[in-house]
Amino acid sequence: MIHVSGLYHSYSQDDRYAVKDVSFDVPKGEVFGFLGPSGAGKSTTQGILTGLLKLQQGDVTVAGYPVKSMKNEMFNRIGVSFEQSNVYSKLTARENLAFYRQLFDVPTRDPLELIRQVGLGGKENLKVGTFSKGMKHRLTFARSMINNPELWFLDEPTTGLDPAIAANIKDIIKAQNEKGTTVFLTTHNMFIADELCHRVAFIVDGEIKLIDSPKNLKLQYGEKVVTVEYLADGRPQTETLSTVQAEDKARLQAILGTYEIMTMHTKEATLEEIFITVTGRGLT
Amino acid sequence: MKLFSSFVKELTLATRSFYFYIEIFFAVVLLAVVLFAIPEQIRAVQTQLLHLDLPQPAADRLTADLLEEDLDGQWQTVVLESGGQAFDTKLIETETARVYIVDSADAVRALADTQRNIGMVLSLDDAGQLHYTYYLQGYESQRLQNLLSVIPGASLDGVAEKIADLPVEQLAPDQVLLNDRENVIPTLIAFNSSFMGMFIMAAYVFLDKKEGVINAYAVTASSVARYLLSKILVVLLTATVSGLIVTVPVFGFQINYGLVLLLLLVSGFFASVLGLLIASFYADITKAFGTVFVVLILLMLPVIAYFLPGWNPWWIRIIPSDLVIWSFREILIEDGKTGFVLMVSAGLLVAGCGLFALADHRYRKTLSVS
Repeated sequence: MIHVSGLYHSYSQDDRYAVKDVSFDVPKGEVFGFLGPSGAGKSTTQGILTGLLKLQQGDVTVAGYPVKSMKNEMFNRIGVSFEQSNVYSKLTARENLAFYRQLFDVPTRDPLELIRQVGLGGKENLKVGTFSKGMKHRLTFARSMINNPELWFLDEPTTGLDPAIAANIKDIIKAQNEKGTTVFLTTHNMFIADELCHRVAFIVDGEIKLIDSPKNLKLQYGEKVVTVEYLADGRPQTETLSTVQAEDKARLQAILGTYEIMTMHTKEATLEEIFITVTGRGLT
Repeated sequence: MKLFSSFVKELTLATRSFYFYIEIFFAVVLLAVVLFAIPEQIRAVQTQLLHLDLPQPAADRLTADLLEEDLDGQWQTVVLESGGQAFDTKLIETETARVYIVDSADAVRALADTQRNIGMVLSLDDAGQLHYTYYLQGYESQRLQNLLSVIPGASLDGVAEKIADLPVEQLAPDQVLLNDRENVIPTLIAFNSSFMGMFIMAAYVFLDKKEGVINAYAVTASSVARYLLSKILVVLLTATVSGLIVTVPVFGFQINYGLVLLLLLVSGFFASVLGLLIASFYADITKAFGTVFVVLILLMLPVIAYFLPGWNPWWIRIIPSDLVIWSFREILIEDGKTGFVLMVSAGLLVAGCGLFALADHRYRKTLSVS
């Protein structure tokens, strides 16, 4: 669905690249996470893929269309949700979506249904200028679904949303993906990426450091240990043991056979910890 | 269909914003000024103070001569005050002057000082010749001062007859002039309706930039050109309405409204595209203000030339607003030059299309993901 090869971009038109030799492919039906801290080159890459930034160097194909000679009709198959909400504040929520649906040549979704789906039911006739930041963000998200996109670009879709609403947005993304929509998710939120993405790319300083599935990354970089809490002589004790080394495995079996176990957890590395391990950088 | 829905959306946004009503409001205000404040013929009436320090028969004779030109043939008694002192005067009003005849030279001097009007004392010198004493205000031109100094010694006998005998050849005998009220209309329409579009268009674009909706439009299956055109159509609609608000009540149905509409549309198109182009270089209206201001001043220079026929350098004549003002004038006068209006309209349309292509390129190039 997306093919990127040898992508470079410089805002200053010199060798100070915001994006440097970026290459990846996203097959149809995948949720691909593009992860990195602010200024890493995530939005620049998404900007080029969606035609908002001119392609300077590299080979990029989106939904079968070469970005170099992008045509408006390509956007019939694409949806874009921006990090900064960008809806008309002087129009109502319904008017905003009703206007945008007219700009596509494919069957579109009912604005009211979308408004309800993102939890804005009952607010459809209010001017967007009266909305909170989170409500505007949800409307921007809803708008990106208006044309039933086959390829969906999502830039920080849950930023600024409370946990319940963020969970709803995640469910919508999952549901769309199950229907076959390919998702290109740009975020610095590793929990969202972990939950939604089939594969993730770590990008730092304009370069991709790694691409793999969250599961493989955890297997590769996780600490394969178990923490066990038990009662010994009436007093609580805690030990952390390797699940790989023979000596620790024997000790774990001994504890299990001898003492009353209170809690026991395998420790799994988070994506954020792996990101720091791989890139040497934090996400903020 | 996409253009139409974009236009409807832009019109909805415009009617919910402040800028849409500025042009219409000012059109109504300007119409009121034109109808109720500007007379059909502006008369330059000068106020003068006069004391006749002459023997009574001579003073009576001069007063009687002045009364012959009085609008109703009778003087009025008017009391003027200066420095807490009241002076009885005789007021004689003619087509071109209001002359207060006062009783003393001191009164002329005092009133000239406080009323800021020219004063004159007419007396006889030792040789029995007329002697003129003027009290000027300091703002009179050197030409006027020179004229006043030669009048006493000049023989004016027969001047009127000589002027009447001068051969005068009228180069444009059929030229129809507008009255003073009608004469201001071309400049008012050109600026309030046509060129105001530049400022309003820039304001609309900056509102969209502030909300980031241009990026949202750019990722739809509609073109940026449609987005720009829909805004232009809204500006043209307001230009047409505001133009007609001023012209219809003043001229009725005596003029060619086909040409009025044509010129309003092409000049509004040119101006709004200019506004689009300027707005493409700046992030917000504050940063663009300097450029918008300079361009507006440049466009306003032809107004000076319009009201000062003696000053019309070549570079003024190539400023688009000059062509628009004179084209509107040609439409408003009887038997105006239709060919000139059509030529200017075609030129503005071609120039506007060129600028539109440039603006379209700029907007596609400068969309950002910030």
